[in-house]
Amino acid sequence: MTLLSVKDLHVSFRTEAGLVEAVRGVSFSLGRERLGIVGESGSGKTITGRSVLRLIRPPGRISAAEMTFDGIDLMGASEKQMRALRGQRIAMVMQDPKYSLNPVMKIGAQLTEGLRLRDRVGAAEARAKAIAALEAVHIRDPERVMEAYPHELSGGMGQRVMIAMMLIPNPDLLIADEPTSALDVTVQAEVLSILDNLVRSRGMGLIFISHDLRLVARFCDRVLVMFKGRVVEELEARHLMQARHPYTQGLLNCLPRIGGPRAPLPGLDRSADWARG
Amino acid sequence: MALIEIENLSVTYHVGGRSIRAVEDVSLSVAARESYGLVGESGSGKSTILRAICGLAPVSGGRIRIAGAPVKTPRGKAFSRHVQMVFQDPYGSLHPRHTIDRTLAEPLAIHGIGDTDARVVRALDDVGLPPAFRFRYPHQLSGGQRQRVAIARALMLEPEILLLDEPTSALDASVQAETLNLLNRLRAEHGLTFLMVSHDLAVIDHMCDRVLVMQHGRAVEELSRAALAGAQMTTDYARTLFEASADRMLEV
Amino acid sequence: MGQITSWLRDPNPASRLQARIGQYYLGWLRLSRNPLAMIGLTIVLSLLVMAAFAPLFATHDPIAQDLGQRLLPPGTPGHWLGTDDFGRDLWTRIVYGARITLYIVALVALTAPLFGLIVGTVAGYFGGWLDQVLMRITDIFLAFPKLILALALVAVLGPGVENAVLAIALTSWPPYARVARAETLTVRNADYIAAVRLQGAGALRIIWGYVMPMCLPSVIIRVTLDMAGVILTAAGLGFLGLGVQPPLPEWGLMISSGRKFLFEQWWVATIPGLAIFIVSLGFNLLGDGLRDVLDPRSSGK
Repeated sequence: MTLLSVKDLHVSFRTEAGLVEAVRGVSFSLGRERLGIVGESGSGKTITGRSVLRLIRPPGRISAAEMTFDGIDLMGASEKQMRALRGQRIAMVMQDPKYSLNPVMKIGAQLTEGLRLRDRVGAAEARAKAIAALEAVHIRDPERVMEAYPHELSGGMGQRVMIAMMLIPNPDLLIADEPTSALDVTVQAEVLSILDNLVRSRGMGLIFISHDLRLVARFCDRVLVMFKGRVVEELEARHLMQARHPYTQGLLNCLPRIGGPRAPLPGLDRSADWARG
Repeated sequence: MALIEIENLSVTYHVGGRSIRAVEDVSLSVAARESYGLVGESGSGKSTILRAICGLAPVSGGRIRIAGAPVKTPRGKAFSRHVQMVFQDPYGSLHPRHTIDRTLAEPLAIHGIGDTDARVVRALDDVGLPPAFRFRYPHQLSGGQRQRVAIARALMLEPEILLLDEPTSALDASVQAETLNLLNRLRAEHGLTFLMVSHDLAVIDHMCDRVLVMQHGRAVEELSRAALAGAQMTTDYARTLFEASADRMLEV
Repeated sequence: MGQITSWLRDPNPASRLQARIGQYYLGWLRLSRNPLAMIGLTIVLSLLVMAAFAPLFATHDPIAQDLGQRLLPPGTPGHWLGTDDFGRDLWTRIVYGARITLYIVALVALTAPLFGLIVGTVAGYFGGWLDQVLMRITDIFLAFPKLILALALVAVLGPGVENAVLAIALTSWPPYARVARAETLTVRNADYIAAVRLQGAGALRIIWGYVMPMCLPSVIIRVTLDMAGVILTAAGLGFLGLGVQPPLPEWGLMISSGRKFLFEQWWVATIPGLAIFIVSLGFNLLGDGLRDVLDPRSSGK
């Protein structure tokens, strides 16, 4: 069953230097599965993710032949309808928890705010739900975290709180934009496995946006590789090693490896035909 | 004789009446033309060591010697001809209102070195940037290009030691590869000694001959390249770090 | 035309000059897209033109009295804005008054921000006791209401345009010092400062070449926003008889002399008041527009 369907998505920005096309004709569809979008900075992967929520500010413009979520036409929806979707049915986790949490509000208040205002849940029930959500992301001492301010949490803890917050309304689709890039290596693995378990157990759709091809491949069912606003290759994650496109191969091989050879690392040939235009 | 010698270095920051020990009792020595790595997670004090060498962090104990001579405080102009640094964030390490030309010419002006035009053009060429970039502003360059400018700036005074503070962690994977290749080429060509900090064990392994694993401001374990590749670490933390890094590298 | 634009927008400038002018051109493009800022700029430019070519715009002598023509209302043939109690044409006095206003504004705008910038960057860069001393002095100046302090200074120095400028400048530098210090504190720990320190640069070079350019935008914005206040303080001093002396056509002085007839001949005080209002508005609109262009946080995007 298709949860999200995007056909021929274009996003352009009018700047002093002229019209910049950040996304040029991206199409994909997503069921209740895990889709990875991989690309380097400037490839349009983040903008693609934000377009689904129509979170592109002027002078940016979105156009698409079709963009539907669970039967709702996202292009035609009013701003009010979009607000009802955002957070409730489609949630988003950003790269750095430092900038996504309100620095002057306690974690507990931030977690229960949505429940109390939007769903009119009582204080005690909201608190219980928030604590349950924190437990779901393996926070050992939820009572203490509820009373903490964001700056008192480490990066990994902050990101887990963000994931907990996003999952409280039980969304159908989660968009995670580089959710672990700001974290230490040893914490990354932990946060990823928590995210993975939650997505599987709740049967959510997931769009996982990252620059790290190997990470995405381990974690997703399907991978879109983006370059300069276009999808250059779409493949099953388990067939990643059979990637045919030179850009995908380049991304796979350019990372150094422990115990690897000292020879210069293979780079991308940016003068090749596929890299132009 | 070791070119960089650090003995029992401690760095303590005083913030609002509290003192925070960023580095505690760390010793290391780097031979001339060697490439030495410092690896650890955020808050491990690895970058603080580089800053302490440059006089940008408050040293509260221990000794730092460059080429056998203890460093002076303040470091002074002579020091800057021996040691230069490349910073992590290519967006923050170039002055946003100076052209590339000015950024590269500044060290020459400070030290009264003439022949500015020719040296700037040569420096751009050395790091693989076209001469047309000379009068651009930093915001007209990509992250990788900015980092090349930062590397060129560090080499303007022809130092023998280059301190590298996570030089590629803000860059895309393919740009990281190009930048690491560039650094390796420059090291061979200029006979440089590297002291490199990274959170990425694979990058350190690719670049360095020896590596010091750090945690919470302390040295945990020093490993040779062979020991790292062979997973012959003796401490739990080094092993955890190794496994978390190696795990990501597995064939899918 | 097309050639000039492409030279300005060339992403690979061939010289320092071209790079700099290209940046100014981009700033101008951004400013010109803001209609309110353009209105402000038009007002300020008109003031400049009016002051520079005052004799061409004026219809009469600004000082010569004609008691037969006193207190004529606006719209009278030959005196389209009317006349004051000595029969002097109000339009002419407004035009010549622009010179005095601009003179005061220009002198204050050159001295106070420069002094504030130096105090602020030095205090912010060095920190420690120097910062404490400089900032406490700044606090002392800030503790007094501006006009009262200016009054006290003029009372000591004696009335006159130059003394009024000096008094205004001495009372208006502290906010610039504050702005510059705050900006310096955020810039001081930047990597590009660390990099140039590591190259052996001295404090003077760092403050002048690295810190000040980063503080300049917020100070310039603050200056344009403060210009209205400077004009009003100058007018206030003139109004109280401590600034410009009669018969010079300073706008504040004109309001002061018109207040005696405010109920019967309202225009004598209202017209210079309107002039002050329009010019203050012009500077404020321009300052707001410049904020969008110069703010370092928005540059480069």
